[in-house]
Amino acid sequence: MRNAMKRSLIILLGALALGSAIFAGSYFVAQRATVMCCVDPADNLSWLRTEFHLSDAEMARIRKLHDGYKPKCEEICAQIARQKQELQTLLGNSTNITTEAQAKLNEIAKLRAQCQAQMLQHFVTVSQAMPPEQGQRYLAEMKRLTLGFHEQTEQSMSGDSGHEHHH
Amino acid sequence: MKEKDIHSDDAKLDTLLRANRPSPPSLPPRFQENVWRRIEDAEAPVKSESWLDALATLILRPRFALVTAAVLVLTGVLFGTLEGRQAARHEAQMNYLALVAPSSVR
Repeated sequence: MRNAMKRSLIILLGALALGSAIFAGSYFVAQRATVMCCVDPADNLSWLRTEFHLSDAEMARIRKLHDGYKPKCEEICAQIARQKQELQTLLGNSTNITTEAQAKLNEIAKLRAQCQAQMLQHFVTVSQAMPPEQGQRYLAEMKRLTLGFHEQTEQSMSGDSGHEHHH
Repeated sequence: MKEKDIHSDDAKLDTLLRANRPSPPSLPPRFQENVWRRIEDAEAPVKSESWLDALATLILRPRFALVTAAVLVLTGVLFGTLEGRQAARHEAQMNYLALVAPSSVR
């Protein structure tokens, strides 16, 4: 009787292991297949088409806007990277922030603000190239994704420290 | 005469043998009933000892195993596809975001 129960237990555990393997295998294969099928690595704008149900004509307009925006964005990014490099050199191993370093920080902040404004302007322009409803949704989503992080951080910090920053 | 004597001896012997036959041993109470019960138990089909054995027997049935495997594959594919859609959407969104919004200004 003991042997029979032991055998049954082994069968049950084996079946459970096999069942789990079958489920996990199917799950991962289906998941990877869906990701590979739905994401086009060659086209980074594909998300816009699927998410906002855009037509070929709308996509062509947005592609043109994007091609105009990209070099400007890259230029400012290169400037920021240069300024950051210079800041690193200025800071060196010192424990104090010198006036030069402070000036460099201001310069970087200015460039970032410029980049951010340009980016937001691009979002507005792209949203106008979409059907009104989708455009509004796009703009709200992009604001959430690009500005939301800072807002969250600022809110949490002002809440934790007990004082508020007024910008 | 001789034959008559022989018959008479036989009868005596029979009487003697009957008188000396040991009485049958006394049986335990409900002996016969118990014997029949044991015979019935022995002839009855072997039953599963526990739910574990019953489950193991069920699992080993080819039809049950096949249906269970099919259900597991279908469920896995369904959940995997749903999860894959979400992951694909997120990945595509991040690709777009990386293109238009540099990480330094996010």
